[in-house]
Amino acid sequence: MPATISPLLRLHGITKRFGNVTALDDISLDLQAGEIHTLLGENGAGKSTLIKILGGIYQPDQGQIWLEQQQVSLRSVADAARLKIRLIHQELSLAPNLSVAENIFLGCEPVCFGFLQRRQMNQKAAALITQLGLSEIADVTATVSDLSTAQQQLVEIARALSQEARVLILDEPTSSLSDVEVDALFNTLRRLRSQGVGIIYISHRMEEITRLSDRITVLRDGKSVGTANTNEVDTATLVQWMVGRDIQEHFPRPPYRPGEVALKVCQLSSPYVHDISFEVRYGEVLGLSGLVGAGRTELARALFGIDRVQSGTVMIDGQPTQIRNPREALNQGLVLVPEDRKQQGLVLDQSVAFNITLPWLKDWIRGCVFYYQIKNAIVERTVKRFGVRLAGSEQPMRDLSGGNQQKVLVGRWMEKPPKILILDEPTRGIDVGAREDMYRIIGDLVKQGMALILITSDLDEVLNISHKVGTFRAGRLTGIYETQKVSAEQIMQQLTKGEESENR
Amino acid sequence: MKIVKQMVPLLAAIVILLLLFRIWVPTFLSPENMLDLTQQISVNTILALGMTLVILIGGIDLSVGAMVALVGTTTVFCLTSLSGETQNLFLIFVSLLAGLGAAALFGMFHGVAASKTAMPPFIITLASMLVARGCALRFNGGLPMPIGEHQTFFLAIGNGRLFDVIPLPVAIMLTLFLLMSLLLHRTRFGQHVYALGGNREAALYTGIPVVRVEILVYLLCSLMAGVAGMIHTSQLYSAEPGSGEMFELTAIAAVVVGGTSFTGGRGTMFGTLIGAVIIGILDKGLNQAGIHYSLQYIVKGAVILFAVYLDVRRNR
Repeated sequence: MPATISPLLRLHGITKRFGNVTALDDISLDLQAGEIHTLLGENGAGKSTLIKILGGIYQPDQGQIWLEQQQVSLRSVADAARLKIRLIHQELSLAPNLSVAENIFLGCEPVCFGFLQRRQMNQKAAALITQLGLSEIADVTATVSDLSTAQQQLVEIARALSQEARVLILDEPTSSLSDVEVDALFNTLRRLRSQGVGIIYISHRMEEITRLSDRITVLRDGKSVGTANTNEVDTATLVQWMVGRDIQEHFPRPPYRPGEVALKVCQLSSPYVHDISFEVRYGEVLGLSGLVGAGRTELARALFGIDRVQSGTVMIDGQPTQIRNPREALNQGLVLVPEDRKQQGLVLDQSVAFNITLPWLKDWIRGCVFYYQIKNAIVERTVKRFGVRLAGSEQPMRDLSGGNQQKVLVGRWMEKPPKILILDEPTRGIDVGAREDMYRIIGDLVKQGMALILITSDLDEVLNISHKVGTFRAGRLTGIYETQKVSAEQIMQQLTKGEESENR
Repeated sequence: MKIVKQMVPLLAAIVILLLLFRIWVPTFLSPENMLDLTQQISVNTILALGMTLVILIGGIDLSVGAMVALVGTTTVFCLTSLSGETQNLFLIFVSLLAGLGAAALFGMFHGVAASKTAMPPFIITLASMLVARGCALRFNGGLPMPIGEHQTFFLAIGNGRLFDVIPLPVAIMLTLFLLMSLLLHRTRFGQHVYALGGNREAALYTGIPVVRVEILVYLLCSLMAGVAGMIHTSQLYSAEPGSGEMFELTAIAAVVVGGTSFTGGRGTMFGTLIGAVIIGILDKGLNQAGIHYSLQYIVKGAVILFAVYLDVRRNR
């Protein structure tokens, strides 16, 4: 990537303030045609603000944007679209009730005398899919809600590229994808790069970034810390740029001192998982690995009493138990921290204190009397124990960063530590610093003798944090391995074995 | 007092409205007129208190107007057929219980249907609004059932005065307001309601008995409608199967004017009380100012829209 070529896109001195908070401070950045340029930074570093400026959603207070040596102003989403800057948001923005083709052409449907040309639309969509090489989407008339998350992500990309793109911006597109699905996405991005599209890519996952991108720019606290060619910089340096300090051990594995069997599951079946048998001991982390939809979350839901258990037995401390709803699970000392913080975990409109004390209302509300001292003590303990960063406990949950939200979600249960803790994707979408904290918390809990089940799509994480790993495929537990005796490749093989024969 | 602070614009609106109508109607602020006002808003306020809980959990109850009629007809039917020309405290008690029981049955049904099935509460309660109205019309061939002059106890519910000053409906309204405020703002149940309305799934994962809470909320709403029905019927001196028409909409208006979010999770009982007062002042003021009733509708509609617009803007 010779730097002498004039850049496709150039940002100069971009500054953006919200009130008296400076979200972006004098950011300069350039993007070549046919380049994948990664933006790296912790949550709140300013990545999202920056790309929203490029998408025409925010206007910068200072600075210029040049596109192919022409200064441009992006005052609206329409401006960005006109200049062929396409932005793919972190959260999917598809209409789930419409078909793939309808979504791709949403807002620019082919019409004739006001009537929708459905056949023409489907043909165009199919042609586009073929042209982009998105072979994962077989049928453009399929309803989007029937597709996997990965496929939906690809539809989103297809929509962004249905009209010509010069600049493509992706905000954490892989946060809900498994490794296999990420590979498919990367192939598409590489193909686009070879066609001369400039790509700005945002991710937390270090391994992806080094695989995919040509250059990396690190943001911290709204400032650009540095830009480097990917092959000239190592992970340690990048992490140091991001957090401003050295992070020694990336994955601190908790010591392994297994105790008695805490949870034993025999031939458990629910509508979504079949014939699951395993056990977890106190002081042990059992990782569960699998593609999205393979049955890991569904197993957790069955254990926690949300999905109906059809057959099989669950034993806690050797005692057979029947858990029919989350209350019974909690009474048995089993806690599930769900995967989707915003959808399933938190009441975002309410305060941090409300969310922390929600499981413990019995302790501070007796009849019609609120014991605020007890409430505040619970909040204070939780905040301190987990290092939650917040302005005050009456701050709305919505205003906390993802990492701090996750700490609240896990931390609130430690007021009365459960015997068995199931963490579903505890590090999804949180930054490196918070991730480190989460690993430290997991380590502490295990040292205290808790039994942990860790569900994660991150193969490095599952192999380094857990003592054993169970692999899921198509609703079944296909094997349990000791993590120190198994390689990432072996696990990957397990997860994807028979994929081809099952799909076709 | 965060709650009071949030209510400042609404309290200001009350003062402005009162002064405005004082210009038109010189006697508007007289003690009798004000007492009259509180009496007139009591039925709507009681309905709105129950409606607040339902809207707080993200639901709706369209059946409360029909419930007013059903409870009235049921109670009066029992009263006249059981006690005849005499007045017997026990039989009055049984009749009141029958009326409230009918409301409770509907409330239970709403709660079970809303929590255990995927049917939207709008449709559930729309259907039971029709059913309840139909049930009310089954009594006495759909004709009004007058209450005998000798039923002094029942007639006192809507027309009596406590210590010869405070109208009984107002006393009931204030008592229920206090009870509901305690329930919402000072109990675990209240916290559960906010959690459920803020994020139902999160409430479930936190171990809150979401089904039980939801059933209780709809039950309480129907029971409030039951009490309102007793008062309304007593005030009319007769059980009218066609009464209570559009009451549900006025109650919903009071709730949303009072700042309760229609998507659930945010709102207070105090706000609802204020909302009901504002709508009551408008009603009475426009009436006494001699504004043509066609214009009254238009003004009320505009005011509701404006109040909710301000609230939405403030909370963005």
